[in-house]
Amino acid sequence: MKRKLTISGVIFDCFNTLFMFAIFVIMVYPFLYVFNSSISSPGTSRGSLLLIPSGITFDSYKILFKDATILRAALLSIARSVIGPFGMLLVSGMAGYSLSKRNLIFGRFFRLFIFFTMYFSAGIIPVYLLIQGLGLTGSFWVYILPMLVSPFNLVLIKTYIEGIPESLSEAVLIDGGTEIDVYFRCIIHVCLPVNAAVLLFSAINHWNSFIDTQLYNYANPELYTLQYVLYNTLATKLTQSLEQAKTAAKNTTNTQSIKMAISVITILPIMCVYPILQRYFVSGLMIGSIKA
Amino acid sequence: MLRQGKSASGLRLTIYKQRHLLYMLAPAFLLTLLFCYSPLLGWYIAFSDYRVGDSIFAGRFTGFAQFQKLFAESKDILYLVRNTLIMNLGTIVINLPFAGILAILFKELPWKRGAKIVQSVSFFPYFISWVITYSLLLSLFSVNSGAINMFLIRIGAIKRGINLLGSPAYSWGMMIALDAWKYTGYNCVIFLSTLSGIPLEQYEASELDGANRFQKVLYITVPYLLPTLCVLLIMNSGWVLSSNLEQYFIFTNSTNWETMEVLDMYIYKFGLKMLKFPYATAVGIVKSIISLLMICAVNATVKKLNDTSIF
Repeated sequence: MKRKLTISGVIFDCFNTLFMFAIFVIMVYPFLYVFNSSISSPGTSRGSLLLIPSGITFDSYKILFKDATILRAALLSIARSVIGPFGMLLVSGMAGYSLSKRNLIFGRFFRLFIFFTMYFSAGIIPVYLLIQGLGLTGSFWVYILPMLVSPFNLVLIKTYIEGIPESLSEAVLIDGGTEIDVYFRCIIHVCLPVNAAVLLFSAINHWNSFIDTQLYNYANPELYTLQYVLYNTLATKLTQSLEQAKTAAKNTTNTQSIKMAISVITILPIMCVYPILQRYFVSGLMIGSIKA
Repeated sequence: MLRQGKSASGLRLTIYKQRHLLYMLAPAFLLTLLFCYSPLLGWYIAFSDYRVGDSIFAGRFTGFAQFQKLFAESKDILYLVRNTLIMNLGTIVINLPFAGILAILFKELPWKRGAKIVQSVSFFPYFISWVITYSLLLSLFSVNSGAINMFLIRIGAIKRGINLLGSPAYSWGMMIALDAWKYTGYNCVIFLSTLSGIPLEQYEASELDGANRFQKVLYITVPYLLPTLCVLLIMNSGWVLSSNLEQYFIFTNSTNWETMEVLDMYIYKFGLKMLKFPYATAVGIVKSIISLLMICAVNATVKKLNDTSIF
């Protein structure tokens, strides 16, 4: 579309560009500050907006990568972000295949039964009592089991499968395979793009999750995830081991830059997958928002 | 055994034929039953004198005493509903139209590459956790070390740091602004996809009729976006009583709770901090039931307007 230049149009473009620049700054600056603050030496940065780091030092990171609490928490976060998504894909993928069959017996009931949970929850306390009753408090599996069925991801998988021609699965059935063979030998491979997308969404969810640690593993420091350790250092104070390491490092680091360094290592994985994430998510969002 | 009718045996045959499909559905079905529906049994404790550590059904039936406490004896419900509604409605009514306007501005930007970059950047906060959001806010606005506070003091704009995170005066504005920061990019994507569906001929035709840029936006783009906006507004309003516990857990503290505490946080506080399980469950039941009714109303409205339903 060609645009005629008019005075009002040019003025509007100028303001629009300025506005976009402001949005850009608001979105990017907090991350820039946190990163620069994590690698600046203490004492140099007070009252500065730190558009560039001052007196670069990586001591905060050196301390973190030697700290047992942080390493343990990071490993735990990685573990749940890998085991969780694959478990979810297995359970929700199979269910998605079943629910995609139009002639499934009681299909309407099953679909309602699962998708209704997107809009309704019994509440925090009853769920807490259940988890406690099952003996899941104080266990790693409390991070995995309740998240195995993801209605949102299930919709994405189901919608994708509905777009695959029936003839593909018929070939396997004629060869004497069961529906289980159809899914695991054939459909699961055709679903590669949607499977990759839901694995990624689920991994992000697991990585970012924080309140489940607070609710169920509050009393078990060995099961703290990275997000939870970060929250604790922000809201209260550094752990004892970090405090000692900081004192040992004397003037090369301070509480603030250690906090910022933990934040950076928590953001970094998401930043790395963001380009892929964005592309998948936009298409996923469209499927999900059109129809359950 | 009585003889089964023809339809019953037909049913059994279908079940048998589809058994492999049902096997594959079973794990998801059972897990949903266990984690989403079986907790409903726990609602009983709101009607009994349950004590921590007992089994759910051990308590004596006490009727609606807990509900009476919430509605008649305590005035908490007033400030809780006020906070919850102001912050949730605020995010819906302000942030959704803002995302729509932003989508139009993206489209009107002459520099397409720039628009793409800003759009990518604005979508990013959607994927970061509330803990990180808190960390960013704290590093910029904490009273004694926040970068922006320190900067403003240095240039002499303010004398003492703005206590954004600890003062009740800022709660509502801060939460609405944070929500805008985190979710505008996400909502914008939905509007942008609607925009890309507008047929170009419409613009070309209006150009022939002598419409200028602003008229095109006003009479073509905006009318196309309005239905999307309406659907989003209505759909989101089903959730006005629910808040993200993670978000409010982090931002509610002893100095700003008057304006910050929402229903979900109150339930958490009374249940898991003060261990008054029956009372907290009662509050939760009220919230769940009202939410459910609202979502059903929303679903019916969307169905009528749009011919699609959310379930």
